[in-house]
Amino acid sequence: MEEKPFKVRTLPGPPHPVSPQTHPRSTLGPSLAILSLSPGSGQLPTITASPSPPRQLSLGPGWAQDTPPPPQPALPFLPNSPRPLASLGVCGLQALAKSSGHRGSGKSSPHDTRNLWTTATQSQPKLNVPLPTVREDSELEGSSVGGKTRWSYNQKAGHDSDGGWEESDDGEDKDSFKPEELDEHALMELEMRRGSSLGGPLEEDDSKTDDEKSSSVSSLNISKHTPHRAYWVEQQSRLPLPLTELMENEALEILTKALRSFLRLFLHLPIGDDSLSVALAPPWLL
Amino acid sequence: MKLKQGSFLWYLYLDKLYCLLSVRNVKALVEYFHLLDVHRKKTLNDVLFYHFLHHVTDLKRNQITIVFNMLDWNAVGEIGFDQFYMLVCILLAQENHLEEQFIFRHSRPIFELLDLDGELKIGPSNFHMYNFLFKIKKQQLRDLYHDFDITGDCTA
Repeated sequence: MEEKPFKVRTLPGPPHPVSPQTHPRSTLGPSLAILSLSPGSGQLPTITASPSPPRQLSLGPGWAQDTPPPPQPALPFLPNSPRPLASLGVCGLQALAKSSGHRGSGKSSPHDTRNLWTTATQSQPKLNVPLPTVREDSELEGSSVGGKTRWSYNQKAGHDSDGGWEESDDGEDKDSFKPEELDEHALMELEMRRGSSLGGPLEEDDSKTDDEKSSSVSSLNISKHTPHRAYWVEQQSRLPLPLTELMENEALEILTKALRSFLRLFLHLPIGDDSLSVALAPPWLL
Repeated sequence: MKLKQGSFLWYLYLDKLYCLLSVRNVKALVEYFHLLDVHRKKTLNDVLFYHFLHHVTDLKRNQITIVFNMLDWNAVGEIGFDQFYMLVCILLAQENHLEEQFIFRHSRPIFELLDLDGELKIGPSNFHMYNFLFKIKKQQLRDLYHDFDITGDCTA
């Protein structure tokens, strides 16, 4: 049903001009979505970048609600995006919301979500995002939703119909998980906040709360990774702090013993000797 | 000779193939040397050197003196970081039982260290003097001279 616009949050980019109503698969059912995926390809269909510039898909708070078909992004893939599949999955969710036309049912099966995800992949002609075949198979087999992902979105979307997006994202995460993931988390958190701000009339209190929860969880995940990165940077350029302390303490002990030896040496000098007075005199007096 | 367990040098390690410290270890060693260099001359005098070795190893006073004289190849009474680095490598090689590998990889510098008088010759006395550092056994020395002493003067 045509209600408020549906926005899916991803990395920044211009909005997609294609309207959801013109989506070729807007009325396709789940069965066709499954058939559209060719298992024999050995790999999920390659999605190459379309000529249009990257689009920004902001995950609005009302994305999972009973919303009308959202505007289809022309190119969710960003050249420098470490997570091109994120927007891809989001597109799938959009199509799901559009085709199923409901979120408030509260019971969108993972199967529908996965099919919608595959639908989204098919709808995007050229997106250079290799998708893991194993994940697709697991989705088709009806694996549990959101059970294995690393994203903070899982917390929010655990009860929502975005299991497919989570799972696909997880695979993509696993492939591209690097120390730079901290930036990814920060970006995703930023996107969530941006999306919540752009949600507009569609937002409800529970959605806002969900967004806050997800953002808090994502920030918590970020905080979990922050020490790791700081420690890693320290390891690259500096000594570990415990070793530095050990070095300093040891040097202090050695120098203390050496100082006592120096004093013993000086005390053995005859009284009135100029060298002794020079040695014991403060530097500013010399 | 044993390194004191838990000391700073004890946490360093040699590359087992080339018997050298890694860049990170060298950087740490530079900072350690800088801490010990209280006079800011980029050298350690005999007093500092003695207390350093006495603190981190179980060497005796006369052995420390022998090591200092070996490293002070310019006879200035002080040793710089190059000599300090060589000493640390020798200590770590012995600690990790890499004496033979270390001598194999750095035979030339070790020869120059053992050759105190600069005659480009080293005899059994040289090896015996530094036996506590390199742990060269007597039988190995005999075999060495039996194989390579072509002049018969028991020098190499």
